[in-house]
Amino acid sequence: MKLAGLKSIENAHEDSVWAATWVPATEDRSALLLTGSLDETVKLWRPDELDLVRSNTGHSLGVAAVAAHPSGIIAASSSLDSFVRVFDVDTNATIAVLEAPPSEVWGLQFEPKGTLLAVAGGSSASVKLWDTASWRLVSTLSVPRPEASKPSDKTSSKKFVLSVAWSPNGKRLACGSMDGTICIFDVDRSKFLHQLEGHNMPVRSLVFSPVDPRVLYSGSDDGHVNMHDAEGKTLVGSMSGHTSWVLSVDASPDGGAIATGSSDRTVKLWDLKMRAAIQTMSNHNDQVWSVAFRPPGGTGVRAGRLASVSDDKSVSLYDYS
Amino acid sequence: MEQLEKSVEANPEDPSLQFDLGLYLWNNGGDSEKAAEHFVLSAKLNPNNAVAFKYLGHYYSRVTLDFNRAAKCYQRAVLLNPNDSDTGEALCDLFDSQGKEILEIAVCRDASEKSPKAFWAFCRLGYLQVHQKKWSEAVQSLQHAIRGYPTNADLWEALGLAYQRLGMFTAAIKAYGRAIELEETKIFALVESANIFLMLGSFRKGVELFEQALEISPQNISVLYGLASGLLSWSKECINLGAFGWAASLLEDARKAAKASSELASNMSSIWKLLGDIQLTYARCYPWPGGTENSEFTVKTFNDSIISWRSICYSAALLAKASYQRALHLAPWQANLYTDIAITCDLVSSLSDDSETSSSWKLPEKMALGALLLECENSEFWVALGCMSDNSALKLHALIRALHLDVSLAVAWAFMGQIFRESGEMKLAKQAFDCARSIDPTLALPWAGSADTYARESISDEAFESCLRAAMISPLAELQVGLAWLALVQENISSPQIFACIEQAVQRTPDYPESHNLHGLVCEARHNYHTAITSYRRALAAMSVYSDNSVKSHAGKIYINLVRSLSKAERFEESVMECANLKSKGLLDVGSLQIYAFSLWKIGENDSALSVIRDLAGRISTMEKTSIAFSISFICRMLYCISGIDSAITSIQKMPKDFFQSSKISFIISAIHALDQSDRLQSIVASTRSYITSQEDVVAMHYLIALTKLLKNGEGDSLGFEKGIAHLRKALHMYPHCNLLRNLLGYILLAGEGTKDACTASRCCIIDVSECANKEGLKSALEVLGGASVSCNVIGNTAPRFSFPTCHCQSLNAPVVVAELQRFLHQEPWNNDVRYMLILNLLQKAREQRFPRQLCRAIENLICVSLSETEDEYEKFQLLLCASEISLQKGNIEDSIAHARNASSLSLPRSNLFLGHLQLCRAYAAKGSIDHMQEEYRTCLELKTDSNIGWICLKLIESQFDLEPDANLLEMSLKECSSQKKNSWKEWMAVHSLALGLVSIGRKDFFSAEEFLTQACSLGDSDSSLLLCHGAVCMELARQTNDSQFLSRAVKSLTKAQASSLIPLPIAYMLLAQAHGSLGSKEKWEKNLRLEWFCWPPEMRPAEVYFQMHLLGLQSEGRPETASGIENCQSPEKWVLRAIHTNPSCSRYWNVLPKLVQHPKSRDLQIY
Repeated sequence: MKLAGLKSIENAHEDSVWAATWVPATEDRSALLLTGSLDETVKLWRPDELDLVRSNTGHSLGVAAVAAHPSGIIAASSSLDSFVRVFDVDTNATIAVLEAPPSEVWGLQFEPKGTLLAVAGGSSASVKLWDTASWRLVSTLSVPRPEASKPSDKTSSKKFVLSVAWSPNGKRLACGSMDGTICIFDVDRSKFLHQLEGHNMPVRSLVFSPVDPRVLYSGSDDGHVNMHDAEGKTLVGSMSGHTSWVLSVDASPDGGAIATGSSDRTVKLWDLKMRAAIQTMSNHNDQVWSVAFRPPGGTGVRAGRLASVSDDKSVSLYDYS
Repeated sequence: MEQLEKSVEANPEDPSLQFDLGLYLWNNGGDSEKAAEHFVLSAKLNPNNAVAFKYLGHYYSRVTLDFNRAAKCYQRAVLLNPNDSDTGEALCDLFDSQGKEILEIAVCRDASEKSPKAFWAFCRLGYLQVHQKKWSEAVQSLQHAIRGYPTNADLWEALGLAYQRLGMFTAAIKAYGRAIELEETKIFALVESANIFLMLGSFRKGVELFEQALEISPQNISVLYGLASGLLSWSKECINLGAFGWAASLLEDARKAAKASSELASNMSSIWKLLGDIQLTYARCYPWPGGTENSEFTVKTFNDSIISWRSICYSAALLAKASYQRALHLAPWQANLYTDIAITCDLVSSLSDDSETSSSWKLPEKMALGALLLECENSEFWVALGCMSDNSALKLHALIRALHLDVSLAVAWAFMGQIFRESGEMKLAKQAFDCARSIDPTLALPWAGSADTYARESISDEAFESCLRAAMISPLAELQVGLAWLALVQENISSPQIFACIEQAVQRTPDYPESHNLHGLVCEARHNYHTAITSYRRALAAMSVYSDNSVKSHAGKIYINLVRSLSKAERFEESVMECANLKSKGLLDVGSLQIYAFSLWKIGENDSALSVIRDLAGRISTMEKTSIAFSISFICRMLYCISGIDSAITSIQKMPKDFFQSSKISFIISAIHALDQSDRLQSIVASTRSYITSQEDVVAMHYLIALTKLLKNGEGDSLGFEKGIAHLRKALHMYPHCNLLRNLLGYILLAGEGTKDACTASRCCIIDVSECANKEGLKSALEVLGGASVSCNVIGNTAPRFSFPTCHCQSLNAPVVVAELQRFLHQEPWNNDVRYMLILNLLQKAREQRFPRQLCRAIENLICVSLSETEDEYEKFQLLLCASEISLQKGNIEDSIAHARNASSLSLPRSNLFLGHLQLCRAYAAKGSIDHMQEEYRTCLELKTDSNIGWICLKLIESQFDLEPDANLLEMSLKECSSQKKNSWKEWMAVHSLALGLVSIGRKDFFSAEEFLTQACSLGDSDSSLLLCHGAVCMELARQTNDSQFLSRAVKSLTKAQASSLIPLPIAYMLLAQAHGSLGSKEKWEKNLRLEWFCWPPEMRPAEVYFQMHLLGLQSEGRPETASGIENCQSPEKWVLRAIHTNPSCSRYWNVLPKLVQHPKSRDLQIY
């Protein structure tokens, strides 16, 4: 279980790279890396050489999140101006433009089966679910207000939802907020189930374990990576090692490890059995905004890949084995 | 040790010995347990020994780690001796390590209450209170502690913090300052005091402190952040002052600091926000550098500079946008970042060329809404939305919401006013602006708004004042351009305030044609035409760059401004080129046609000029009445200038009469009429005069009429002075306060022939030094008066000391011209005309005072300065002659000759050069070189002059040195010259006769002299000097011939001389006395002699007067009725003594003296 640097592209974007995800392989092609940047572009890269496939423009502000449909055909990118652009990965044809009130789009993730797109709704304190066929808003899962807060205190009564994650079976949806709480929803019933606590600073990234739908990993500005039992409403464990905010967390397809990117400019690989960081990559020289494991699938590709993107404008690719 | 052990064994009850042993064991690394035993024993024996307890405490805490016991021992020790800091500190450390803060405080408080000298306790207490944020208590404790440890920097630092938190900032700064003094590396104190300075608004000090801190700790984020924010605030202050360049340089530094801190902590949203603020401010204030470059203007360089300027602003705005996005990305729940992004996007889109209309919902508007979604109760976000939105209904709604939340939000009112103004609801707009202004008068926008309202109501004063205030509050280019416009309307565009405003506006909006155009207008108004031309060219270039088409219609106006400035700068060829260019575009209007014609004439293309004038004339029928007047007068002038007077007159005669209904035209026609000897325009002139109504115009017309009369009534070369003077007198009678007429009258009188007119001229003019700079009319009052006083030294010379002027002009109350000239020269040291006038006047003064050395030197210096500056040949000539005269009088003949030679070599009319050679004549005469003199004399005769005095001087020289090569020629020229001047020929003939008389006297030919002088007297209209001369000559003849006939003639002349002189003439009385005496009238002799005494000023009385007084004294002796006479105030011998004292060389006086000395004795004898 280790990471080995494969390729790194300096100045992959003209400005900070903020988002990365893998577009799953289709029948015609292998998986591609999708990155979004402050320079208002979204770029597609072909591994392992990281050849630039295309550069998509169209956003008016920096791209904060990208998500790929499990089919690998379409992808979505969201920018700070709260537009979500859904496009065909291979042709870059715009499929839909989802517009939300400003500050109401943050993280993105497609439902594992691909029927819904979950959008972390930022200041709306909710997660918006869009139907991927009609591109209509089908559901809004609202985070309940804390009971204790006074109604007059407007700013703290709302939670800013930063991150969102689907459970692998598509039944549960988790969203992380700036106050450090994580809410779990029952998607089928559109119901708020409960709230997970453990962080006291913004939760910027969430990921469910691909092997165990109950296990949820979360990264927060408090520098910790927490492991929750999403069903049981308990904090299973907390891992420390980053010296600054944890900006991104992703779980390896085999479920044995997670990778994190942090403001301390490092990428760490964590062994979940040991519950400790086993490797630290410090090839970036600015904060690492996103890490992403390549999903399995595609013809003849067995090797694991991890990508990381950073404020230093670079994109890095590692071999995970 | 053994000794100690022994003594302990000997006295086990002695606590101090026990303690000493314990201490010895403790210190020398011995068995600490044993030591402890001894300490215990000692403590038991003497429970008041604090030190023993202290060591016990040390033992328990360090050796056995029994902290509770240790604490008890320490507590006991502290109780016994609260002043011991070691114990106290140890106890506190113990509690601290166990986290027993309350106990620690209790101990410290007890100790501090028990003893004021327990400084350790105060110190600890202070720190703890600071830790617990009990600031006011902490201040007291720390102050007390500082008394114990005045050089402890930590204490001072803590005190500073406490003060800072209590809001006592000055005290805090002092405390921090002390801490820094004690320990230079106190980063915290440096940073905090810098922060206080920033908060108090002294940005410079704050920045200095931050820089100091940065030297100590270059990687400190809070220092870098503070430095950047300090620089940002400072630069904002600069921007408010209008110092954009300075602000930009500060911001560049700020950007460096902020970047450095963002590299150190890239996940702090506040740093990115600060960087964004810095970039945004930079984008907004970066000045266009092109305005200050003096390189030659080309469209390309201009466009390049605009593009580079804009790209710098644009990239700064983009960087700001990126920085804000990073900040937002890190803290998306911070509402104000959305507004920041909105503002930046707005700026970016205004700076970028491509106008994005693709998305229905514009980005700035959307981002502004983002802030509101997070904090809908924030009224300022509503205002931001109101500004960003394009939809006027939404704008209004947003602002109303803002006002709902905070009714006294002046900004919202102001923007509301702006919306109303744009939609044309002026009344509502005015109300909103008034509301905003009454809430916050330091807001620029309401002032601008009300300026606009006033401007629409055309109350330009109020509009200007309001706009000025707005521009002063906030130096925005829009306001400045507006202000310049209003100033243009108000016609005070040349004021420096406007200049500064428009300079700044150009720096900030170099792509906006109007700001260049106004800059040009301002420069033009300030007579800086070349800059104005560049500005207009820039405006035209900017127009081609500027995207908005609405301004392009003004191109014609800018072109007209350009050609006007070109012609004003006398760059006529360029002007013609631009005009031709305009013509091809069909943009030539009346004004530019005039400039076109004028420029064509100036470069000598008269035919083209005439055709342009014809074009202009063709348009007259379509013009407004006021511009008709301008055009007609322009056409008349141009016709006169190009094709001469006749053509101009025929054109004028052809023009319809109803064009002439203006005072302006009346002046032009009158002027042309003045030059026309055949009076063809008489009727038109008469008809136009009725349009002259204002008093100023009437006066000016009188001026013109007077000049006309001078021209028309003159014969040959001479002017019609009499008619002109008569007209001016009448006019002046109507407008007695008009200095213009007065000065002209004075000038004409002075230019006339009569010597007496000069005196009258001096009375015409009123000198007012403050008005001397006003160059209206031909000559100023001072020049007239200066000229008059050169021609007659009575004028402007209230106290003649060395001369007895016989001129009749009485000007005892007149200003002293030399003083006035000096006053004016002091006021305008660069004014060479005044200096020249002063030199001439000073020379006259020097002549009167017999050329005193000091004065001569002063004049020489002045001449030196004046010669180097003057361009006028005639002035140079005069100055050189003055210099020559002074050198001559000083005896420096070579210099004198050199100056005169220089003067004679100038290119001047012959009659002037005559005077130069005359001066040479005199100089050679003084040198005694007859040959040269002869030569110069001949030159003079050849050159001839129309100056009588020149001829007379030549005559005198001729006769004095017996040159006489062609005496008749001289004689004839003189007579011819005098006869030319018919008004004054009598006077000149009298002077001529006087000269002849003097010549005869020189030859001792008194009879012929008497004849000449009789002739002079008969011609000279009872001039007392002539009469005196005649009287003197008669006396001489009487002496020689003993003919009483001459005596009676002398009496007649001398009496007449006295009668016609304004001041009693000396010598005349003396001669009269002698004449009367010789005729036998003793009484008249006495009377005249007494009068003679009083004629002289005391310091000038000659010896002879004293001597005569002695005679008078002798005569009156013994006659009581004359006892009051002046001669009796002294005895006769005293009079003689005074005479001898005054002139010891006269033997007559000496001869009389012995007789007088003896005389008293005989008198004494007589009495006895």
